[in-house]
Amino acid sequence: MAKKVRNIKKASIHIDMTPLVDVIMLLLTFFMLTATFKAAESEAVEVSLPQSIYSDPDNKMRENDVLTLTLTDKGDVFLDVDAYKIRQKVFGDEFAIGVYHPDSTTKSEIETKGMIGNKEVKRKIVMLNKAQFEKALVDLKTTLRSVSGNSKAEFQVVVKGDKDTDYGIVEDLMESLHETQNKIFSLVTTIKQDKKE
Amino acid sequence: MAGGNFDAPDSGGKGKDKNKVKGRGVNIDMTPMVDVIMLLLTFFMLTTTLAAPQLMKISLPKGDVKDKVKVDMGNVLFVRVSEKGNVFFAMGKSDGSETPMEKIEVKNVASKLEALFAQNNNLLLLLKFDRKMKYHTMSDIFDEISRAKIEKRYAFLKMEPTDVEKINALGG
Repeated sequence: MAKKVRNIKKASIHIDMTPLVDVIMLLLTFFMLTATFKAAESEAVEVSLPQSIYSDPDNKMRENDVLTLTLTDKGDVFLDVDAYKIRQKVFGDEFAIGVYHPDSTTKSEIETKGMIGNKEVKRKIVMLNKAQFEKALVDLKTTLRSVSGNSKAEFQVVVKGDKDTDYGIVEDLMESLHETQNKIFSLVTTIKQDKKE
Repeated sequence: MAGGNFDAPDSGGKGKDKNKVKGRGVNIDMTPMVDVIMLLLTFFMLTTTLAAPQLMKISLPKGDVKDKVKVDMGNVLFVRVSEKGNVFFAMGKSDGSETPMEKIEVKNVASKLEALFAQNNNLLLLLKFDRKMKYHTMSDIFDEISRAKIEKRYAFLKMEPTDVEKINALGG
């Protein structure tokens, strides 16, 4: 009996870490494989997206050539592309972001307060009116085509709207998109659990 | 192999010593490795964004904004959504008029659409959203349209003041 007790004591000094390492390794590989890194600059403006259940399985967010239109709840539209070369050519600055305020009855939040909500926008702001906004949409596409050397290159247009944006802003935006021949675009949403089925 | 692992009482001290030596040799100190892996794990856990965004595809009609397309008004379903987010259905008639509006809850839109499409499979949805409606209602409506097993054909129209009056008469 006495011997056994001593043996147990000795054995307990070494903790077998193998299972722990196994689990951690699994977690590590999972996170490494699923990781998609946020480019700090692409999230210039954060909005709370609406939730939806359905989305087209074959309509995925592209890795590049994405034109993002971010709508804030106060009615500002941020126009951004993911290629700094194109921004340089269209807005005159690598880190510029276009802002369009379709509703003429209210003032642009970013123009009057210099921030969105209580967050500062760290990028150079280029204010655009309707005509300039539509021109920018066309210019961005022509620049993409000249930069990529592909005369049929198209942006994937994604609309990131805050869930409390007025639909009027979306309506004005859709009109501008239609006029600039961007007839297919996608609304970005987050996943909602379907409780009905 | 057979019996080798048994602590037989007559195997004596020698066998025990051998086992101990073997045991020591197998033990590798994993602590530094675990440290590094833990660091990596926390790094990846903090930097990942798991909720991949979903995309809802919207297609605007081909042609210019000014282009007019002739549609048989008998194959039209007006879907009006009020400022408060209430949905109103009205069927178009061939003579250009429409049936009285019917108020429908957002969550019943899909089943109602399926019922209407069962009667007429060529329906075109004319969406009229109030400008003051919240954007999330739009994604809710599109969710419902996708949920209904129908062929998606829709167009956006502007809400006219007369539409707003009619909707307000029904409780907005």
